[in-house]
Amino acid sequence: MNFELSEDQRAVLDAVDRLVERHRTTLAVPERYHYSVELERDLEAAGFFDCMAIEELGTVTACASVMAVARLPLCAETATSSLIAPWLCPELPRPFALLWNRDAPTRYLPVARTVIRVRGDLVDFSSIGVEHVEHVDSIFAYPMGVLRSASSLPWKPLPHADVARVRNFWRIALAAEITGCLDAALASVLEHVKDRRQFGRPLGSFQAVQHRLAECATLVEGAKWLTLKAASTGTALDAALAAGRAQDIATRISYDLHQFMGAMGLTLEHPLHRWTYRVKLLRADLGGADSQLIAAAQAAWPETHNNAIEGIAS
Amino acid sequence: MEFNWSPTEQALRARVRALLQRELPQDWEALSRHGPGSRAQTEFSLSFCPKLAAEGLLVPHWPQEHGGRAAPPWEHFIIGEELWAAGEPRGPQYMNVNFIGQTLMRYGSEAQKAQYLPPMAAGQSIWCQGFSEPSAGSDLASLTTRAERHGDAYIVNGSKVWTSYAGLAQTCFLLARTGGPGKGGIAIFLVPMGTPGITVRPIPSLIGVGDIHEVFFDNVAVPESARLGAEGQAWPIIGYALSHERVGIARYAFSRRVLDRMVRLLQARGLFDRETVKLRAAQALAACEAARMLVYRVVDQRARGLPPSADANLARVAVVAADNAVADFCVNYLSDTLSGDDFPLHLSHHERAIAAGVASGAAEIQLNLIAHDYLQLPREARP
Repeated sequence: MNFELSEDQRAVLDAVDRLVERHRTTLAVPERYHYSVELERDLEAAGFFDCMAIEELGTVTACASVMAVARLPLCAETATSSLIAPWLCPELPRPFALLWNRDAPTRYLPVARTVIRVRGDLVDFSSIGVEHVEHVDSIFAYPMGVLRSASSLPWKPLPHADVARVRNFWRIALAAEITGCLDAALASVLEHVKDRRQFGRPLGSFQAVQHRLAECATLVEGAKWLTLKAASTGTALDAALAAGRAQDIATRISYDLHQFMGAMGLTLEHPLHRWTYRVKLLRADLGGADSQLIAAAQAAWPETHNNAIEGIAS
Repeated sequence: MEFNWSPTEQALRARVRALLQRELPQDWEALSRHGPGSRAQTEFSLSFCPKLAAEGLLVPHWPQEHGGRAAPPWEHFIIGEELWAAGEPRGPQYMNVNFIGQTLMRYGSEAQKAQYLPPMAAGQSIWCQGFSEPSAGSDLASLTTRAERHGDAYIVNGSKVWTSYAGLAQTCFLLARTGGPGKGGIAIFLVPMGTPGITVRPIPSLIGVGDIHEVFFDNVAVPESARLGAEGQAWPIIGYALSHERVGIARYAFSRRVLDRMVRLLQARGLFDRETVKLRAAQALAACEAARMLVYRVVDQRARGLPPSADANLARVAVVAADNAVADFCVNYLSDTLSGDDFPLHLSHHERAIAAGVASGAAEIQLNLIAHDYLQLPREARP
């Protein structure tokens, strides 16, 4: 048991943090989301999407860098690029959009160069361009779109893709992005309640506010470490538990954070929505918290007859 | 970053489990039904702890001169996790090895160390903590039990309440006021519970027969040599003691074990097919494992020699939530097991869980500490 990053991991994540800080200043005009090509370009140029494939860095570094980038009030396609493409399709051009068993409006489709599709046990992909995608106006803080004519695209199978493995890493990516967003959203609310004064004192000096934020912080930290653990072990149980937990706590935390931001949090001027409206989409992904948690229950407590079969097999 | 156990750590766990397998009686779950402070479990601890000591598993983290071998913090923690998960066969003696012993080593006189440490290391020592009072719970520094100096002794008058383990304790780690108001007026005394003038009354409670008590001090004469540290030094000493008890006991480990057991029972009853039941079980599981991670983070920091931080407060809040999630799961889906005496483990877990957010400092005090020390929020004005 060791919670410390290695020197190599620390160095890379410090570099990610520095890059993230550089982009923090580029807050755009009030809009529901800001997709940053520049941020993606910088991440790619610095090789951050390759962490997973480098033995000294591995999935933990990839996961932690997704978390770190999610802290920005901008969005960039990091989840698939960092945690799935490196082992599934390293040669395909990014950004990616991932369609999971449905044709609903999907994040990053309007900017993606490759779309990966999971249908049952099949995983296939197609290169796409803006001409293949219809941009969809959405409440969510991502570029959202649908494919114009999915059937006319040149889909090719990814024959060695194991859907269970894709799902595992997608869960880890979801957990990383949700916890990164929640962490940053919490930090922005903390700043607000320290500054904003009502009844002659900072909002953050009221115990009613303090206790709820302290609980939020406890939930976020717990989810963050479950996510890093899942990235480290890669087991189906840990991945499902991390994603399920992150999706499950997101509802309550988003509510509290918006409450404490008051009417300022209803404006596009304050960036709180840039995190909470990413989380609102992510928490429904892969069937939402219930699906992940039920999968975790099945992994943690397989039915007895299955145990018996496994016992014989081993 | 590594979330698996090293071969050495795995071997240690296996050793503790083998010892438990060997030493716990068949009826252990019934025996431990009323928790670490019950008469049955306390008496059991007096035969079990010497066996742990003989195996080098009671005080491995203590220095050699006091019977240990200065083992790293993880080692003592793993032992504690396994034992608490098993229902704590050390009974109240877990307190000795978690923090009372180390506190005496640091602040005790040579005579106090010679008197109290050897029986602790031998597994023969039962202590209680005389902290809370009828009017001083969360606001501990307002305690009013008085120790008046008379020559080379003190006369103690006052009362303590909700005191765990007092009924069978040999010694009390007592807080009493020797000076003016506030933290600076308090001293610690190591008081034999057989001293004339001490009366102990059990309090009928929801958390196990024989767990909590009222303790009355009526002109109790305590020699100056029983004072731990100087007058007014209680607060820094308690701070030191708590730094050894930073994450407390491994409650989440007991909760996880009990949750596993509950699920197996539901499976055997054919009731685990329902998705809502699986969902609730997994929510409780996630709460346990999140708490485990936050606790491990604190132990990890300690193992690397880092100073105590507010991370320990987050860990305790998460642990309380985990205990309650598992207890609620039982109430929701296995309520029949909470009547009668067929499921003593469910009953003892329920009782540990409802005390989790209250014992050794209310969860709300932890939230205050998180707000101030971790989130850097301004303190609320106090009247």
